[in-house]
Amino acid sequence: MKSDALRGHLDALLLATLDGGQLHGYAIIEALQKRSGGALDLPTGTVYPALRRLETAGLVASEWSTVGGRQRRTYRLTKAGQRALAAERTAWREFTTAIEGVLGGGPWPAQA
Amino acid sequence: MAGAGLIDDYVTALDRRLRGPEHVKDDLLAEARDSLHDAAAAHRDGGLTEEAAQRRAVAEFGPVTTIAREYQGLLGLAHGARTLRAVMLVIPLTFVMWELNRRFWIGAWNDFDAPPPDWYLAIARFNDTTAWIVAGVAIVALLVGRRLARTTLSTVTLSRLAGAVAVGAVAVTVLGNVAILAATAYLDVTRLVMSPPVGAATLVSFVIELRLAVLARRCVAFSSV
Repeated sequence: MKSDALRGHLDALLLATLDGGQLHGYAIIEALQKRSGGALDLPTGTVYPALRRLETAGLVASEWSTVGGRQRRTYRLTKAGQRALAAERTAWREFTTAIEGVLGGGPWPAQA
Repeated sequence: MAGAGLIDDYVTALDRRLRGPEHVKDDLLAEARDSLHDAAAAHRDGGLTEEAAQRRAVAEFGPVTTIAREYQGLLGLAHGARTLRAVMLVIPLTFVMWELNRRFWIGAWNDFDAPPPDWYLAIARFNDTTAWIVAGVAIVALLVGRRLARTTLSTVTLSRLAGAVAVGAVAVTVLGNVAILAATAYLDVTRLVMSPPVGAATLVSFVIELRLAVLARRCVAFSSV
């Protein structure tokens, strides 16, 4: 999947990966790739600036902590992040339902 | 960590392209290095040699020029937010410090031989309210910036906006101080030298504003990518 197509949804995808609990940066990247079946083709270096921007926006919080014997910056959803994720999920369901109604039904019947 | 050559080269190249607050930069680069080592370890576990694993990790991270642009946006934004917080706190504090100093050493300011003309009072009112208006604008800019960070607006654009607000805030403050100083000199120049402590406080105010102007100027430099 092209990175341009993903960029508009990156914030929501990152929030979704953090829904299960706090993760460090590379674990977030692995989760994104695993949950997309390897279809998300995004330079991994763009994920960290996106996470920091979400932190500036107050949607995630981060701190250095020891994970697997190493110091890593770990990220977690804030309350505002949980609300934003819920709103993103609702908007996505409405969007896909509308698009599915138009694109998903096969050829349209010919007009009489 | 064994054989960190390609990763080190990449992080060094990224470091050379970035300008901004050192502690933020160090933090970003440490995280980038960790991520590259994690990726290389995963590729080694998948059967690649050390060099091939690092090469692939670096390739997946993205072209250094593209990634540097995104990181520079963050650095510019961090510096912009810090400058706006400084403007919000330091400018009103400097004003209050100067006013208390003047009241202690000189007393009431309206003891001219004749009542000051309207234009002088207008400049004085402008200067008296500037500090609070500027602090208010900085607070609003910080809150709006936090909200805009939730949109698709890039960090580069956000850092430019923060820089523009910081430059404007400092410029208006300096303008107010220079205007009241020039107006007082025009009306009664002896007032500028009647109290050395107040003169020193004026000098300190300008030094503080100069420092804020340097920070604001860096906002513009750090948001240029």
